Amino acid sequence: MKPLIASALFGILMMFAALTVKERRSFSVFALVLLALLTGINIWELAETRQALSSNNMGGVYFFKNMVKVDAFNLWFNTLMSALTLLYVGLMHRNIERVGLHVGEYYALIFFILSGIYLMSTFNNLLILFLGIELMSIPQYILAGSDKRNLKSSEASLKYFLMGAFSTGILLMGMALLYAALRTFNIEQFNFSMLGSNTILAVAGIILMIISFGFKVSAAPMHFWTPDVYDGAPTPFTAFMATIVKVAIFFGFLSIFKNAFYTLQGTWALVLGIITALTLIIGNLTAVFQQSVKRMLAYSSIAQAGFMLFAIIASNAMASKGILVYAVAYSVATLGLFAVLAKMKDYTYDGFNGLAKTHPYLAAAAAVFLLSLAGIPATAGFMAKYYMIAALIEDGYFIWLVILGLLMAAVSVYYYFKVIMAMYFREGTPELAHPVTVADKILLGICVALVFALGILPDMLLSCI
Amino acid sequence: MTQLVYLVPLLPLIGFLINGLLWKSMPRKTAGILASGVMLLAFALSVGIFFEVKNNPGYGTVVTLFDFIQSGALSLPFAFQVDELSSLFLLIITGIGFLIHLYSTAYMHDDPGYVKYFAYLNFFVFSMLLLVLGANYAIMFIGWEGVGLASYLLIGFWFKNKDYTNASKKAFIMNRIGDLGFLVGMFLVIYHFGTLAYSDLFMQFADGVPANVSQGVINAICICFFIGAMGKSAQIPLYTWLPDAMAGPTPVSALIHAATMVTAGIYMIARSNIMYNLAPLAQNMIAIIGIATVLLAASIAIKQNDIKKVLAYSTVSQLGYMFLALGVGAYVGAIFHVMTHAFFKALLFLGSGSVIHAMGGEQDMKFMGGLGRKMKITQFTFLIGCLAIAGVPMFSGFFSKDEILAAAYMKSPVLYALGIAGAMMTAFYMFRAYFLTFTGAFRGTHEQEHHLHESPAAMTIPLIVLAVLAVVGGYVGLPAVITENHLLGRYLSPVVTNNLASGHLSHSTEWVLMGISVAAVALMIFLAYSTTKKGTFKEPSGLGKVLANKWYVDEIYNALIVKPLKHISLLLDRYVERCGIDGIVNGVGRLVQWSGGKIRLLQNGQVGVYIFGMVLGIILLLIVGLLFL
Amino acid sequence: MPFQYYLFLSLALFCIGVTGVLMRRNAIIVFMCIELMLNAVNLLMVALSKMFGVADAQIFVFFIMVVAAAEVAIGLSIIVMVYRKIQSVDINILNRLKN
Repeated sequence: MKPLIASALFGILMMFAALTVKERRSFSVFALVLLALLTGINIWELAETRQALSSNNMGGVYFFKNMVKVDAFNLWFNTLMSALTLLYVGLMHRNIERVGLHVGEYYALIFFILSGIYLMSTFNNLLILFLGIELMSIPQYILAGSDKRNLKSSEASLKYFLMGAFSTGILLMGMALLYAALRTFNIEQFNFSMLGSNTILAVAGIILMIISFGFKVSAAPMHFWTPDVYDGAPTPFTAFMATIVKVAIFFGFLSIFKNAFYTLQGTWALVLGIITALTLIIGNLTAVFQQSVKRMLAYSSIAQAGFMLFAIIASNAMASKGILVYAVAYSVATLGLFAVLAKMKDYTYDGFNGLAKTHPYLAAAAAVFLLSLAGIPATAGFMAKYYMIAALIEDGYFIWLVILGLLMAAVSVYYYFKVIMAMYFREGTPELAHPVTVADKILLGICVALVFALGILPDMLLSCI
Repeated sequence: MTQLVYLVPLLPLIGFLINGLLWKSMPRKTAGILASGVMLLAFALSVGIFFEVKNNPGYGTVVTLFDFIQSGALSLPFAFQVDELSSLFLLIITGIGFLIHLYSTAYMHDDPGYVKYFAYLNFFVFSMLLLVLGANYAIMFIGWEGVGLASYLLIGFWFKNKDYTNASKKAFIMNRIGDLGFLVGMFLVIYHFGTLAYSDLFMQFADGVPANVSQGVINAICICFFIGAMGKSAQIPLYTWLPDAMAGPTPVSALIHAATMVTAGIYMIARSNIMYNLAPLAQNMIAIIGIATVLLAASIAIKQNDIKKVLAYSTVSQLGYMFLALGVGAYVGAIFHVMTHAFFKALLFLGSGSVIHAMGGEQDMKFMGGLGRKMKITQFTFLIGCLAIAGVPMFSGFFSKDEILAAAYMKSPVLYALGIAGAMMTAFYMFRAYFLTFTGAFRGTHEQEHHLHESPAAMTIPLIVLAVLAVVGGYVGLPAVITENHLLGRYLSPVVTNNLASGHLSHSTEWVLMGISVAAVALMIFLAYSTTKKGTFKEPSGLGKVLANKWYVDEIYNALIVKPLKHISLLLDRYVERCGIDGIVNGVGRLVQWSGGKIRLLQNGQVGVYIFGMVLGIILLLIVGLLFL
Repeated sequence: MPFQYYLFLSLALFCIGVTGVLMRRNAIIVFMCIELMLNAVNLLMVALSKMFGVADAQIFVFFIMVVAAAEVAIGLSIIVMVYRKIQSVDINILNRLKN
């Protein structure tokens, strides 16, 4: 529980620091130090828990009256998320500093979101799940609207807020119906075998939860907010929302469906299958038409969510491993791409014309990330997609979805390669909003190395569990 | 020591990375020293490993580095097999590899691609070490592909010459055909035995053919693997790339296309000897293809005038001997011959390199002659190489070739007779080459004669070392008539044991067989001397013309395979590709664009519409979910 | 009273909330309708808690109220921020972001 408490404390600390500190850069330095510390605390917790688990031979360590359960798998996920946040702040801190006046508060909100992520990944009770989701969502409403001078940002914030609050209502109704059927909020005590006539309540509850989770991970037809919010929100926060937050929600999504609802898989898998198919089709086809790379990335995040939904449908051991690989592969590539995007003045495809000539390093890194997102072999994206498809094939019922996924992956190559085409084969003199520093180059280099390392040895990520 | 085995391939890899990444800024001298230095270190390590293995018979261990692929029931660790067989190959690869690196520093001295050359060479050694060290077929396959790539890069090293790049493409494609066989074999192994690791796989063969698979399956696997070996080790019908591969720099021919890479196929089959023992059909096929290759290649070599072509065909033919040995179950003999052949063939190639160096790039023996007067060391070492390959008693080739021929005799006297015929041709063409090059009068231009000189020490030292090895290398495997103590056989016994047709050959028979081969060889050397004494070249006619044109095999392949394929692909391109596939692909593309444009309209910016869409979705999904309850 | 009555009442309230969200254009009213949805859930939870004789759902309700309060604080300030820019709280005016 140390990381949870620490991240909440760090958030409060950042808020108080905002009262006294004036220099913007010092917030970033402070945040980086705290995030490094947080990652360290996570590793410490992981090591301690592993030791405890190996001695008492239990499935996990419980906290707060069995409401939170930690084990090596979800702590490792938390560690990865903290490390990715560190990477994110390292890549994006210049842009964060430029969003508005309240730099300290932005970092505080990021720490609160991290607490939400920790709750989200370790919940053992629907209450904690609810708190985790809200703790992640509410700061995001603020971050989306943080560029107060810009109407687009405010519009994004309002849209996100209204729809998000609506989906919270649906989530709560789903939980209430589940409670009505099962008489408990503790997911380990869920017993679907004695439901009788209450089955309909439970299934309706599960479907409402699918809808609400689907909203958070921007699955069709609940995806409408995504392009507008991602487009309107300040770029550095879009990067955060589209990567770390989204994969964390997926982790929670998978853990409740795998651990609690798996026995009813027959009833909800079809609903989820329809959602997945719609998500893949809408995400990929609409991305083809975009003019702005930022908006294309929003649709791409919908499309990638379609692939991650494979894991939820399968809900098997392969899916657990796969979601971890996918989370890191997708986050690293997308973060790197947003870092490149944030350097650009013009977010349209034409803005990338000729980048390879003027900034070969930036262009090469971006090309690697795009290849990974497109799922080209030897990159992390390929292994991630491989795991997802393998999980679904192991499950055995949704082969048509696998075929659809492969077709749509082929479509995705089109819009990802459009950027590569622009960078390498078009003439132009792209303008940068910020200069590329050595630190940027090193961090982008790390991302590229991660993309290849995971592409060749995905098991590296899994061996730590 | 064995735990450090990963350093052996790692060192050349480091050399490759440094030279490969910094090839623009690397000073030439440093590059050469670095590349040779890592080889020397790797060799030193290999010696250590060799003796550790030698002092602990049956010590073979698997050193696992990390999990490479973990997928369902199949687990492929990245592991190295350290045992008698692999440590012997380590010694050959790093030892000869080092000598050839050293030689190259002088031979390639004036080449503009010097640094790149050493990067490739290091990469080759790295891949080759992976190939022999891998503890499962997958790792072997990675090395297998790696050496193929290195060979492709080095054959086409002087890529400005179109013929050379064509030769490299030919090598690559022929090898790919073989690789397909290897891959299919691996899939069959996974499918039937669920593992690719040697130890797990061969354990299942401990009591003969396992109950759950049929004899046919094992034959099929063995034949598939042999097809892989055919490509890499240049056997009929996939041998034609090897003579063309002489387009590469001569040290490359020595290292890759004579001493090491081409023996990969022999290594693979020797490694799988337990499986091959259960596949008599595959074994017979190997023996027949092996002996056929011996005769075909040796007959072609007789009429070649390019000194490197002679050596290339000789390599093909010697590889045929090794496969003959594998086919008759004389695995130790095959490995023995790999070893001695590595010594004398590397020596011969380096010697020919020395000659070519002195002749200023001339390879045609028509314009040589009498070089011995100017190049004493080269002449002398080349002569030793010729004596060794011809199988003159007391030289290494004699012992290894005799072991193979004796084993062939046990299988069938016909194989033996054909083997002797091959040996006679070998003696003839090698001594023909020797006499044409080093004795008689010089037939080249005056300018060339003036330029003749002995090569620098960096080139002659490897020649001398290899010459010594070519003499003494045979004494690790003395025949049974002299001593029962076959050092190599005893050393290899924990992993490789012979599986001969009949148990024992009586001493008197063995003496007779030896006598026949010695007499035949002596006769052929004399014949070679007498035909080349005049030093004149006639336009070949009749059979000679067929031989000079390599039995027209290239032309036959061209007419039977290349041309029809070209026509079919043109047809496919014109009709199926242009009209059918392109039409479908473009149509799908247009459909995607069109539907994307329509779906996009849903995103109209109105929150009300968004929420409406969401609610509609909820209602429909609830209906679907509850209907299918 | 049978449990179904509570269930139907709260579902009815929930649906009224959803309909309101769909029909109204004023952001504040939309937000009020969302609150109505949350309160429908609260009612259901409390009723269930009473019926099962355990308090955990009532505790859940407290958390929902706390979170709802936080959402109100954030939501109203976002609406005020938008109002300052476009002098309106009509959600249909906001369609600068689309396609």
